[in-house]
Parts: sequence; C-alpha cells; structure tokens
Amino acid sequence: MTVVSDAAAEKGGATGHPPVPDTSDPVGRSRGREMLLEFTERYALVVLFIATLVFFSVWSKTSSTFLTSSNFKNVLGGEAYSGILALAIMIPLVCGEFDFSVGNSAGLTQVLCAGFMARLGMPVPLAILLPIGVGAFIGVSNGNTVARIGVNSLIVTLGISSVLLGIVQWYTNGQSISNNISPWLTNIATDQWFGLPVTVYLLAVAAIIVYYMLEHTPYGRYLYSIGSNRDAARLVGLRVERYVLTAFVLSGTLAGVAGILLVARSGGGNPQAGQIIDTLQALAAAYLGATAIKPGRFNVLGTMIAIYFLAFTVTGLSLAGVADWINSVFDGAALFVAVLVSTIIGRRRAGTS
Amino acid sequence: MPGPGQPGDPQDPPPTAPAHDESPTAGSPPGAALRVDHLSKTFPGTRALIDVSFAVRPGEIHALVGGNGSGKSTLIKILAGVYHADPGGTITVGGTTLAADHTTPAKARALGLHFVHQNPAVFPALSVAENMVIGHGFNTTAAGSIRWRALRRQTQALLDRFEINVRPEALVNSLRPAERAMVAIARALQDQEGQHTGVLVLDEPTASLPRAEVVRLMGALNRFAAAGQTILFVSHRLDEVIDTAAEATVLRDGRLAGTLVGDEITEERLIEHIAGRTLDRMYPVMPAVESEEVALEAKALTGGPLRGVDFQLRRGEVLGVAGLLGSGRSELLKMIFGAYPIKSGTLLLGGKPVRFRDIGDAMAAGIAYVPEDRGGEAAFLDQSLADNVVASSISRYWRALRLRNRAIDHDARDIITRYFIRASSEKQVMGTLSGGNQQKVVLARWLSRGPRILLLDEPTQGVDVNARAEIYALISEAVGEGCSVLLVTSDFEELSRVADRAVVLSGGRVTAELRGAEIEPVRLTELAFSTQEVAS
Repeated sequence: MTVVSDAAAEKGGATGHPPVPDTSDPVGRSRGREMLLEFTERYALVVLFIATLVFFSVWSKTSSTFLTSSNFKNVLGGEAYSGILALAIMIPLVCGEFDFSVGNSAGLTQVLCAGFMARLGMPVPLAILLPIGVGAFIGVSNGNTVARIGVNSLIVTLGISSVLLGIVQWYTNGQSISNNISPWLTNIATDQWFGLPVTVYLLAVAAIIVYYMLEHTPYGRYLYSIGSNRDAARLVGLRVERYVLTAFVLSGTLAGVAGILLVARSGGGNPQAGQIIDTLQALAAAYLGATAIKPGRFNVLGTMIAIYFLAFTVTGLSLAGVADWINSVFDGAALFVAVLVSTIIGRRRAGTS
Repeated sequence: MPGPGQPGDPQDPPPTAPAHDESPTAGSPPGAALRVDHLSKTFPGTRALIDVSFAVRPGEIHALVGGNGSGKSTLIKILAGVYHADPGGTITVGGTTLAADHTTPAKARALGLHFVHQNPAVFPALSVAENMVIGHGFNTTAAGSIRWRALRRQTQALLDRFEINVRPEALVNSLRPAERAMVAIARALQDQEGQHTGVLVLDEPTASLPRAEVVRLMGALNRFAAAGQTILFVSHRLDEVIDTAAEATVLRDGRLAGTLVGDEITEERLIEHIAGRTLDRMYPVMPAVESEEVALEAKALTGGPLRGVDFQLRRGEVLGVAGLLGSGRSELLKMIFGAYPIKSGTLLLGGKPVRFRDIGDAMAAGIAYVPEDRGGEAAFLDQSLADNVVASSISRYWRALRLRNRAIDHDARDIITRYFIRASSEKQVMGTLSGGNQQKVVLARWLSRGPRILLLDEPTQGVDVNARAEIYALISEAVGEGCSVLLVTSDFEELSRVADRAVVLSGGRVTAELRGAEIEPVRLTELAFSTQEVAS
C-alpha cells in the first residue's frame, strides 16, 4: 500500500507552502538525527567490516593465523575473481536487470582458455582474448533477449547458465584441463608488486574503470535512470534497449575476465569451478554494497567493501575450524540480509515504504 | 469545544474566515454523524495537522478540501486508524467518542466509518460478485465449494440497493470507471443492511475518473445522501465540491482554514481558503500572441485513436486541447514527441516536414514533453532532485572525459530557486517532495533546455493551487520567450484561463476550434461531450 508515500508527500508539501520561495531546510530540528542516521547507514558496513577484522585478530582461536601478512595477501589476492564477478553482476543490476549467468560464463571461459592453450596450443593473448570474447557474446545474447524481446532477465540468464554448465561438461568431459597452461598466466596469481598480489591491482583497475563509467560518464547516469524508472528514461530520450543490451555485454565481458583469473589461480580449467554459487556470492556482494557508501544504490566501493567483508569473515571462520557448510550458510544469509536492508533503504529513500 | 468555523491557530487566521457560527447541533454529540476535535499529528520534523476540529452533519455530503500537503490525507488516515494522532484529539461517530491517538482500523470499522480509498482495491480480473465477498470470506458448502448462486443473489440485491446497473458476474475490468468506484462503495457499505448508519469516507474518489464518469459517480453519491447516508469525501476538483457538497471543510498547511456551507461554496471562496489568495492571482496573464509564424502544424495526423488531426500552433501561443479520456489527446502529444507511431499524415516544424525516428530526434528539434503520469513516466523517485533535473541533458555536462558533477549540482541549485521548488537541497530524493514540487522539477527539466515546442499533458494534475499558479507562471515566462505550448487538460476552467486558442478533440478528429472569449468551460464541456456521443 502507498500509505506512507502520501505521508512523505504531505511532509514535503506541508512545509513547502509558505508563499515566498523558501529553499531552506524544511526538516528543521530533526536535521541532526537525520544526519546521524545517514552516517550510520553509509558506514555501517565499514564499521562491521573493521569490527570483524578486529574480532578475528584478537579471538584466541584465530589470532595467531588471521593477523598475518600471508593471510591478508591470500584473501586480498584470492578475491580478485569474486570481485570482478561482483562488478559484472552489478552493471545490469544498476539498470534493473539480473544477470544470473555470470558465474557460469566465467566457468565456460576458464575451460575454454585452458583448453585453447592445452589442446590447440593457441598463443597466450589469443587464448585469453577469445574466451573473453565468448563472455561478451553471451552478454549480447542475454541482452538481446532481455532488451529487445522483453523476456524476464532472471529467467533468461538462469536458463543460459544451465546451458553453459552443460557446455562446460561437454567440452571437458568432466576432466580438469591443466597441462600446457602458460606460466605467464599462472604467475599472475602468485606474483607480487610492492608486496601485494598482482591480482589485487587487476581488481583495482577493473573496479576503477567500472566506478568511472557508472559515476563519471553519462552512460552510468543513464543506466541508473533506467533502473529507477524505465518509462521515464525512455521519455527523456534514452535508447533504453541499447543501454540495457550494453550492460549485459559489459557484464558478460567482465565475467570472461573473471574466468581468465580463475585459470591463473587454479592453474587450469576446472569443470567444477565457476558455478551458480559464485553468481549468488557476487549477488550478495552487490546487494550488500548497495547498503553502504551510497545507500539504496548499487555502487562500486560498497560492492568492493562487501566482497572483502564476506571473504575475511569466511576466512576467519575457517581458520577457527568452523565446518565448511557454515560458509554457504553465511553467504546465503548475507545475501538475504543485504537484499532486505537495501530494499528497506531504497523504499524509504523513494518515500514509498 | 470549538465550532467547525473556528480558525485552528491564532497566529494564522485565514484571511476570510467565515463568520459562520455552527448550529447548536454541533455542540451536542447526537447532532453530528462524525465529529473531529483538536486533531493534531506530528511527523518527525513536521506538523501535518494542527488542532483541527470539524463536524459532519448526518445525511449530508461533506467535502474535505485542501492543497497537496494541507493535511487532508493525514486526517483521513487517522480516521481510518492507519496513523495515530497526537494525544489530545478525539473522533466522535454517532455519540461514541474515541481517543484519536489510539485508533486502529478495527476500531474505525466498529465505529461505523467505511472507507473507499483513492485507488479502490477492486480486483479487475474478478467478477463483481467475487469482489464483493473477497474481503469477507466466501460462503461455502460443507465440502468447501463456493455457493455461487447465493453469492450472485446477494450481490444482485446489493447492486439493486445501490442502483448500480451491472450484472454480478460481469468482470470488473469490463465496467466503466465510475461503476468500478460505485462497486467499491457498495462493497464498503454492504454490511449496513439497508440502514444508513455510520459515515462513508471517500478519499479522492474521482481522481482518476474522466469528467463524464465523475458526473455519474456524483449522481450516485447524491442518491445515497438523499437516502440518508452521511458522506465525507476528499477532492481536488472544486467543481464537484461546488455541485455536490452541502458543506466543505478546507485545510491549509495542516490547519483548519474554514468551513463553507451551502451557497458559500463557490470557486472563489474555496480557492481563497485553499490558497490563501484570490482567484485572479492564480493564473498569470499570458503574453499576447503577436507572431503569425506557425511553429508546428499537423496535417491529417493518423495513428492509434487519431483519425486525421489538423491544427496549427503559432509561435508564442498556448493552444489548448480539450478532449475526454480516450479521445487520443495523450497519443497526439506522444506522436509529436516521437514516442508513438504515426501511421500517416504530416508534421511540419517551422514549415518543414519532419519525421522523428525516436524521442531523441524530437528533443534535438526542440520539442519537450511533460507526460500525464508523473510517477510512472516522468519522475525518477529514488534519485536526487539534481539527477531528475538534468535527466534530459546529462550529455551537456560531459566534458573532457568527465561528468561535471559539481556543475550539475550548481545548476540544480539555480533551478531550485528559479523554478520555485521547495526542497532542502539539490540532493533531496525526488520521492520525498510533494506532488507540486515534483511537477516543477519535471517542468524545470524541460524548460531549462529552452524548448521551441512544449507539450504538456495534464501539467497541474494532483498539484495544489499554489503550485499550479507557479507552474503557470513558469509556462507564461517560457511563452514570453517564444516557446509554443500545446496544453492538454481536463480542467476546462484552467484551459479557458490559460489558452489563447483551443481545439476540441473528439472521435479522433478536431471537431471545433475556439478562440479568446469563446474558450469557456461550459462550451468546452458541451463540445467535448456532445461530439463524443455523436461519434460513439
């Protein structure tokens, strides 16, 4: 029901009535409270993240292993794959669409990349770029179906991810591909620059590019507008279909890049890697990210904080010797809470709760 | 206990508080069907209602009027038990008094308050009979199947009682809008079993109805009142208040601005109370059209409901389009904006034929469009005011590979001042602005582009009188700078005051053209309706 939306309108209106234009703050005395609330909203995740780090650093079960540079490097470097996947799923989310195929797209590109090197002896640049191109093509296919034909993106991409899973099994016969993998590629996962794994820099570059695109180009604004109100976006002259399509292409491309990182990390193509569970984790990070920094809005910095919050927590738990199934419960619960909180924030912002 | 005419606050006496002394009945509980005393409601940071008291006499239609943000929706929600008022206020229905800070929907029902909300929750895909019982539980056999025959019979009896001429098995989405509203009313009142006890409260029952349907619905309300039903209805439309209400309570800024009775209910008096200013100041004097230059011309424009529309729009002119809902008036604007396919016919812009492939082309040609459905087609409710203002011109701020966010915020602040927008800052979220301010933001989005042609579809719908005056001041300014306006509005009073010329759209064609003093509400109504009858 639109019960409170009217209240919001009333609130704005009741104070907006003085006959002289009055642009001063209409909220008055609750201004302080409002600012505090906003601050809490923005940085709650950051605070929670820091608290988690502190907790695992002092907890007797994990204090000896958690607060070590090797653990930090491991987590920082190891999350490049999940981070890029989260960026991938975030872009269509900004314009209001789901891409549930990112995990499986990454799964396909990694076995293709490994296969191209192992079976076809392809030169490394080609063995990297071609699978990324396949990721982009999956995006084109998803995007066309969703944007031009108007099929529900959740259904389309869920269906596609199952198809991709099948292709991976067919291509690999269920076997890992690990011979003839270029050492240059696998070194990416182990090399360090200035004391940090190279993959951290790769993720940083990808995050900065996506951040720039979403926040500092008209393209990003258009995506947010489309996500906010598609009809209104069309009526301010945006070619909605085209933008939605490109969002899927970017998503597929990034998923392809994530797949390559997977090859670098595991030293081959693994038919078990790159699954729907990775998609869900990326989704959790994106939604959790939407509760922070710019609450109610999918944003890159929030997503990155969320990725590392999830990763460090899971690492801390496993260092404490907690059973493996906890991880999956934790990821799922994080997604659930994140969606809940970001929906509430979003509604309140729009005055429709 | 204050009488209904007493001003709510000594600091803000209404300029023309009626010297209306309430009859003694208001003082004694049995006299009033519904009485509200000292109702206040404080939201964090805002007082939506301040010490409001009024009484509704039994068997009368009582209107509750006020601009957006005047507190009337809040008042209705307190009556319905959705909101709790501040302690101290009371609600009295037929002698039973309830503390207004402890209301619940169940208590409101028990008191005999029956509500029909703005978008009545009817289920379009279900039958009338199913709609009647859906909230009450179906009457079923021992085996659990629905007793359809009994249901149909009961519904028929109910429909007869309320003189609604539809069949119980008709699907609600096949009904006319007014009939749908009547079905919702019948559903709200079905428990009364023929006794006209309690109060029927209608929250803007006509907000989404075309004029003809309003007349039907108001006729039905008059019949109910004549039969003894007490009705409190909230409305934006002054004409229906004047035609129907025996008494009208006006709120302004959360305070009681006054109560008008019988002959006192005139447009002038209502507007004085709603706006705190007089009618003459509501509409600006539009600059006279001096140019003979034709800015936009349509020749035999066909597509959708339109069957060959011709008109000419001169430079600096406001051309009104009068037509009923479904006359194709909205499609006409969308066609010109490249948002609706044109089947045949030509559009000439400055004498040259144009064919817009899409909206971008139309925008590039200097055309701007403010759609009718603000929430659905114009506003980005969860985005900031600044984002909303620049939505149509973001690419202008893209320089040297960077979006000039600071310039956007700066321009948005200018626009807030220039377009009389009441907001805390350019960062305020659109959805938290009042309807009138949202509309000013949408208007600013387009006017700041300096359009040659401005297409307006119901620009003052759901907008309070003050904002309406400001919106017309802004349009008048644009017209003065040479912008041509094509204005679609259902408010023929407004049309007559603002338009230089008006065309009547009916049956997919222009059936009449009026100019100057000929543009007059009664004449427009006649033309819009009569031709509709002929055409259908």
